[in-house]
Amino acid sequence: VTTERTHAGTGYRSAVTEALADGWRFAGLHASTVGDRRLVRALLSDASGAMRLESAEVEDGTVPTIVDRTPAAGWDEREAHDLYGVVFDGHEPLRPLVNHDVPLDHFTTPVRGADPYQVAVGPIHAGVIESGHFRFHVVGDRILHVDARLFHKHRGIERACEGLPLEYGVSTVARSCAACWVTNAVAYAHACEELLGQKPTPEVARARTILLELERVWNTLNDIGAICAGVGLAAGNNRFLALTDLARGLNARLTGHRFLFGSVAVGGSDLGLDTHATADARKTLTRIRRDSSRAWREILFNGSFMDRMPDIGVVDAKAALSLGVVGPAARAAGVPEDVRAVSPRLAYEGFEAAALRRQAGDVQARLEQRALELLPCLDILDRLLTGPVRPAATEAAGPESPIGVGLVESPRGATTCVVERDGDRIGRLRLRTGSYANWPAVAHAAATNLLPDFPLINKSFELCYACVDR
Amino acid sequence: MLTLLRDLRKLRRTIGLPAPERSGSLAVRHVDCGSCNGCEHELILVSGPTVDLARYGLGIVASPRHADVLLVTGPVTTRMQTALLTAYEAMPEPRRVAALGDCALGRGLLGSSTEVVGRVEDVLPVDLRIPGCPPTPEEIAAALIGLIDRADRGRLS
Repeated sequence: VTTERTHAGTGYRSAVTEALADGWRFAGLHASTVGDRRLVRALLSDASGAMRLESAEVEDGTVPTIVDRTPAAGWDEREAHDLYGVVFDGHEPLRPLVNHDVPLDHFTTPVRGADPYQVAVGPIHAGVIESGHFRFHVVGDRILHVDARLFHKHRGIERACEGLPLEYGVSTVARSCAACWVTNAVAYAHACEELLGQKPTPEVARARTILLELERVWNTLNDIGAICAGVGLAAGNNRFLALTDLARGLNARLTGHRFLFGSVAVGGSDLGLDTHATADARKTLTRIRRDSSRAWREILFNGSFMDRMPDIGVVDAKAALSLGVVGPAARAAGVPEDVRAVSPRLAYEGFEAAALRRQAGDVQARLEQRALELLPCLDILDRLLTGPVRPAATEAAGPESPIGVGLVESPRGATTCVVERDGDRIGRLRLRTGSYANWPAVAHAAATNLLPDFPLINKSFELCYACVDR
Repeated sequence: MLTLLRDLRKLRRTIGLPAPERSGSLAVRHVDCGSCNGCEHELILVSGPTVDLARYGLGIVASPRHADVLLVTGPVTTRMQTALLTAYEAMPEPRRVAALGDCALGRGLLGSSTEVVGRVEDVLPVDLRIPGCPPTPEEIAAALIGLIDRADRGRLS
């Protein structure tokens, strides 16, 4: 159960500082309104998966910043300023993030020196890629700094959720992103079930875990293919595209949708798989395991491909911890955190995060980490698909609460969803996905590298824009 | 690498994609105006080995200046409207617009009214509608091949 404390004045800043010193990690921050009080809430998590909220009263439109204590809060504070008008005292300069109605020089970082110039890319890119603008500050081919200006796809999904009945919110929230649909839906369902004093039964947990891992399978295959595409290795890209198609085809046969849309609900699970369906799933997954291992071996021993990988786009463990990097990108840097190991509401008994021998935090490590994580993911599905899956409901677990939090490991890392209720409806909702947590690290990784290597660095994170922009 | 290429050749034989019976080509520029990334993920597979639309002369081109068709996804957000119009302005005539996916067609729009302009049709004249949430690679392929056929019969000139 999530604990929540509200502070006035500088109490919030010292509470967060103390929590961070005790080993708690920043997991999100959002602005909220309760009655006529305006609040800023910082979400923190610890290594056991426990969550707590430290809230600050907004006084004269201002709260103290925590970005100097945890740089991971940078984007969250900028977003709360742009969308809710909160000023973070001490966050200097508080540059716009979501707000595009400002001159470019308010947004970009000033870069001075001998012969730096800017390369503007996007929002429309040359391939089939989501929209976003990158401004590279370069000298020759060398990147000094990147300003990523995202939120071109901002659809106001969180605002659109406000006032929706809790059980209807799932289709809107989850559709922030097709690649993370199940993760977003389960994070939202967990948050709502905490509000309603419910918890998943083992059968509900099993169904949701199957869906989460099916999502991870196609995403992982897609992401390995994307790195091949980033280098221009068409054979590798095509092989993994075919496997991605195979995995999505399985999703459609099991749930009626290639991206598993509509397969998660608040208060239970409608997923029904008979023995024919589970046998089909196991057969297809065995084929994916065999064919992907074979293709991976080929890639691994392709010298001209692998030579492009090492020491490019490095995010080391120190930077990963400071920037709040999550998921495969963090584990590739030697931060062994995986929410699946601390998810009692899901069926991950005995799960341990996969660790590479070479945790260099570069493109090679992020590629190898994904290939490594595909196997336990297939193992989990193998274990969970041994018998039929039946629809089931959640069970009562305790008192209702005004605020609920969901924490789920997406294919890109820890995703949190905070839901504040207004009766039986959504009062305020915040979805912070693994992609949101990792975007600042892409800019960090790109600095000092060559401009032509940026597509590769970007693909090695393979972050969504859709669930960041919302 | 030879194994990988052999596997791909075998895969192609297994899928058994027919040789195209039609001529012509279509250069497509994709613009994401606020989709959930589902349409993009399926569109990528359209050029993958299981559909391989290049057989029909269809290619994704890097610039709207080289494009016959602007393929637009998503409910058009306020922040993408200008970029979409700029891309359309850059296209040579004859130019066509295809709206890809339910959001682009205004079926079940996501988001709040202050951030979303609306359907693609509210911003640009639309010639081809591809429904689905998201449409499958095969559905996207069939719709685009239909557009090549229409161009062949001179209805697009």
